[in-house]
Amino acid sequence: MSDLVALIVLFAILTIVGGAGRYGENRLKSLSVAWVVFLLVTFPTLSTEWARMTSELVDDDEDPHYGLPDIWEGKQVVCFNFPGENAPGGYDGGRHHIDSDGTKFLTDSNWNGSGACVGGFSGFEIGIELLDEAVVVSGGDFAYNSTQFSFGLQIDSIGGVEPCDAAPCPEDFSSGAYWGLYHNGQMALVGISDLPLEDDSVITWTIETW
Amino acid sequence: MLDAHAVTLSPIETFILNVFLLAIIGWSMWKAEKSLSPGSDAMVMALIGVFAVSGRVLLDPLPNVQPVTVIVLLAGIHYGAARSTVLATSVALVSNIFLGHGIWTLYQAAAWSLVGISGSLLSERLTFSGSLAVSRVAAFSVAAAFLFDWVVSLSALHSFGVDMLLVYIISGIPFDILHAAGNVFFVAWLSTPLSEMMSRHSTRRTVVRETVAIRS
Repeated sequence: MSDLVALIVLFAILTIVGGAGRYGENRLKSLSVAWVVFLLVTFPTLSTEWARMTSELVDDDEDPHYGLPDIWEGKQVVCFNFPGENAPGGYDGGRHHIDSDGTKFLTDSNWNGSGACVGGFSGFEIGIELLDEAVVVSGGDFAYNSTQFSFGLQIDSIGGVEPCDAAPCPEDFSSGAYWGLYHNGQMALVGISDLPLEDDSVITWTIETW
Repeated sequence: MLDAHAVTLSPIETFILNVFLLAIIGWSMWKAEKSLSPGSDAMVMALIGVFAVSGRVLLDPLPNVQPVTVIVLLAGIHYGAARSTVLATSVALVSNIFLGHGIWTLYQAAAWSLVGISGSLLSERLTFSGSLAVSRVAAFSVAAAFLFDWVVSLSALHSFGVDMLLVYIISGIPFDILHAAGNVFFVAWLSTPLSEMMSRHSTRRTVVRETVAIRS
């Protein structure tokens, strides 16, 4: 959004400076060249910012991208769901969205929960690679701790939130909690380090209890 | 065997080549028109049609920057609604042989025809003392960019419902803006020479009669 405002201000300055002085056909010629060059050079930024600003949430609940910005259709996404009172700072009060370049946009305050989705990725083949990229893009807000077991990687905490912060974990293990991994809305059958991805995979981390 | 054409151009090099080719076509058209006898409006229509198709195809790497909208608008001003519609439809069809033909061709033809018809209807307002009012044409070309793009957007109704049309149109506004800026560019640089060329062979009206008379 701030980039879009900066572009509009730059365009206005260019027009005012270029349009100063007496009217003439040559002034229109030079001004039109400046406009076209400016818009062509800034077009990738302009169109990306506009797409973010005008994006809507996917409302098809059969779609794995349900509730996500439509500009991420066909792209890979990682979502982190937190219990409301345990969300990392700045990620409570709905679901926040972070684009693949780290830009935050379109908070869904009606979402039943707290957390964030980092998306717009493509080309990742294994879940752990996508997760690591999402952590980097978010500036480390969703950095995780993990334990390597013979059966794979277990995620112990995400964004400093441990499952037992959100649910009672008695010492007798009569109940407990863990970071559950979902792939396209279904509980993943393998760990994140072995999870094969599709072009439009949505992986979701959410605290589950037993 | 030697492969003399095994040259790979970068996008920038390709664009420079395309602009050079378009300049050759434009210059040749300008020279060819000089040798035409007065009243050769059909030949001039063919020449500007070739230039419009070439411009659209060769500038295709630039998003939505092409001279067709302005050329059709000028044709509407100088040659009237019927012939600008012929030009608009022919340019849409022929250029889409290179760029891709489909249901959208119909909408592009209709939208450009609408621009030409609008130019014809507003020709009195888009001229001043017998000459093209460049600033007014530039302003109208901005509106024409949005008119064209939004009419063409109607073709999206073949893929999804009316409820998504507004979303689709709004999402395309950066492309509309670039189309509008491109139109202003083409009006600024091409409208006067093209207008003079068309006027010299127009049987409908002589928009730049005074200009031509002074220069001759």
